[in-house]
Amino acid sequence: MTNVGIDAVTYYLPASAPTLEELERRGALRGSAATLASFGFQHARVAESESHVDMAMHAVRALLDETGTSPDEIDLVLYAGALTSSSTMECAPAPAGSVLHMRDLMDFFKYPVSRLQSELDLENASVAGVDQQGCAAIFSSVRLARATLLAEDDVRTVLCVSADRLPHGAAREVVYNLVSDGACALLVRRNTMRNRIVAAHQVTKGAFWDSGSLENEIIAAYFPTARAVIEETLRKAGVTLAEIDWVIPHNVSLRSWEILLGLIRCPREKLFSENIGRVGHTIAADNFINLRDATDAGLLRKGDLLLLFTFGYGLNWSCMVLEH
Amino acid sequence: MSDSPQGAPRTILVSGGTGTLGRELVARFARSDAAVVVLSRRSSTRMRTVMGDVRSGPTLGMAPAECAALRECVTDVVHCAADTTFNRPLDDARATNVEGTRAVLAFANECPRLERIACFSTVYVAGRTSGCFGEDDLGGADGFVNSYEQSKAEMEEVVRQAMTELPVAMYRLSTIIGDSRSGAVTGLNAIHHALRLLYQGLAPMVPGPETALVDLIPVDFAADAAYHLFERAFSPGATYHLCAGASHSPTLGRLLDATMSAFERYRPAWRKRSIARPALVDLDTYELFVRSVEEAGNEVLLQATRAVQSFAYQLAYPKAFVARRADEALALASIQAPPVLDYYENVVRWCIETNWGAGA
Repeated sequence: MTNVGIDAVTYYLPASAPTLEELERRGALRGSAATLASFGFQHARVAESESHVDMAMHAVRALLDETGTSPDEIDLVLYAGALTSSSTMECAPAPAGSVLHMRDLMDFFKYPVSRLQSELDLENASVAGVDQQGCAAIFSSVRLARATLLAEDDVRTVLCVSADRLPHGAAREVVYNLVSDGACALLVRRNTMRNRIVAAHQVTKGAFWDSGSLENEIIAAYFPTARAVIEETLRKAGVTLAEIDWVIPHNVSLRSWEILLGLIRCPREKLFSENIGRVGHTIAADNFINLRDATDAGLLRKGDLLLLFTFGYGLNWSCMVLEH
Repeated sequence: MSDSPQGAPRTILVSGGTGTLGRELVARFARSDAAVVVLSRRSSTRMRTVMGDVRSGPTLGMAPAECAALRECVTDVVHCAADTTFNRPLDDARATNVEGTRAVLAFANECPRLERIACFSTVYVAGRTSGCFGEDDLGGADGFVNSYEQSKAEMEEVVRQAMTELPVAMYRLSTIIGDSRSGAVTGLNAIHHALRLLYQGLAPMVPGPETALVDLIPVDFAADAAYHLFERAFSPGATYHLCAGASHSPTLGRLLDATMSAFERYRPAWRKRSIARPALVDLDTYELFVRSVEEAGNEVLLQATRAVQSFAYQLAYPKAFVARRADEALALASIQAPPVLDYYENVVRWCIETNWGAGA
């Protein structure tokens, strides 16, 4: 059977890393800095001058450079965006707080992924956007990459990109989580020995589409559905939780991870949690930033089974088992 | 038996006669020749009522003349009055459940024609005890889940002391959830509030194992059983469990499944809301969630978790109630608690269709 894996991962985080106290002074938190600190957060990463497209470019350039991949090797680009604004070009100057600011009709036809393909000379790549799944979008792009690689012989290398940046001045707290800006880029390839995709599973509950008015219901739905999705992914992978070596999380609060680990009866030691405080929740890029950092830290051994789980508005719960 | 040995008509004083069980018992006593007097904080046009309050000492808050007159004629005291709120401050719970009972017994002790007393307690005096809990077990050795349980256990101490001098029988009730036939609920309790939270999708998790038994009884069984034991098989000094027992109690997992399927059956649009079955978790995980909600200061979830917390902690201490003495006495009258799942959906349906009583 043909294997598909995530051959390489890079990411980009803005340099600006204000503390919770600084963010509180700026009025960027809904609640108190102390509460977020007790939930495991320390810093957010805030793009002061970079757009989401800039961050995507940085991440992809680093990926191509590090792996020595020629731009013309890329056969398909799947560009994931969690925020609806991430699928459009930014048209400055925008009114304060504005997300989708278009000056004229043709602005609606300007796409980040086309610009990426052009700027980085990805001449052989066709492109597609993957969005409307919140923070689960990058997981979907990996699933689609895998499916395409298995279905189409002439597609050998897929570039998955995710980049999101909150609008200037936006609150940095969403449902007790500290939100950062950031981007990640992945190379998904056939027959790679790295990060083989063993199984993936996603559940969508469109009933919660109006997320802003259903915050409490969403918190309540999050935990039992997360457990069900993780259990189903493990079943698809044919492994038990005991066989999982590491849980590579999305960087929602450490507290919510501790609760979820309790639900699935997973030891706390298996969670790679170092980035939750340091990086915050970069919307969609978390799991892959964490995968890269856990790898660089030498924590992952070849053959380790990794469980990646994320949750996105929409609502979407998404999970993946990788063999490192 | 409706007359006293002297031939004078019996007078039954019922405290808490307007409550869930009390009103059912009053209806049954009213079918006999006995005079039924309900001690109540509110007047009622449907039954003979004396205004009073068990928290007011041995006169029970009655006017002196009324109290004196009642003392002369009362033959039976049926003490149902209780504060069944699970999370009341302990001193408040004690005021009604312990001191109120002490006052009722003191009043009864002054009644020259007194023949018998019924005191109602709860099987949950077992508290944090796990495993089998019988009618002669005292419970509470491992502490209690809430102030209601503790105050009722303390009440039992008062009753047991009184048993040496007064003809008292004690009836420990399981959780009453409604009428088995109509599903109607006369007094919403923690179970119904939890059902509403599940319906609203605000209950993410419940502490307890899938296999924990959930003992519930319908009010018609509770009233039939208590009436029979008191009227036809009175045994002073005895304690009875009026419960479903292990064989008729569903597991927590099955009860949750039955709840979700009843929601879907009786409100098909509910399915579209994609509300997940709550996760069953260990106590540590549940408490971590509660603490997080408290720290976040989320008022809606705070109320929801407190509502679940007040009773659901019991589920983390799995137990089976044994009712050997009651079963033996009730078998002669063919009275038996029905299996919970045989009527549970009726109660859920009533809750949905009346919006938890608001439209009843």
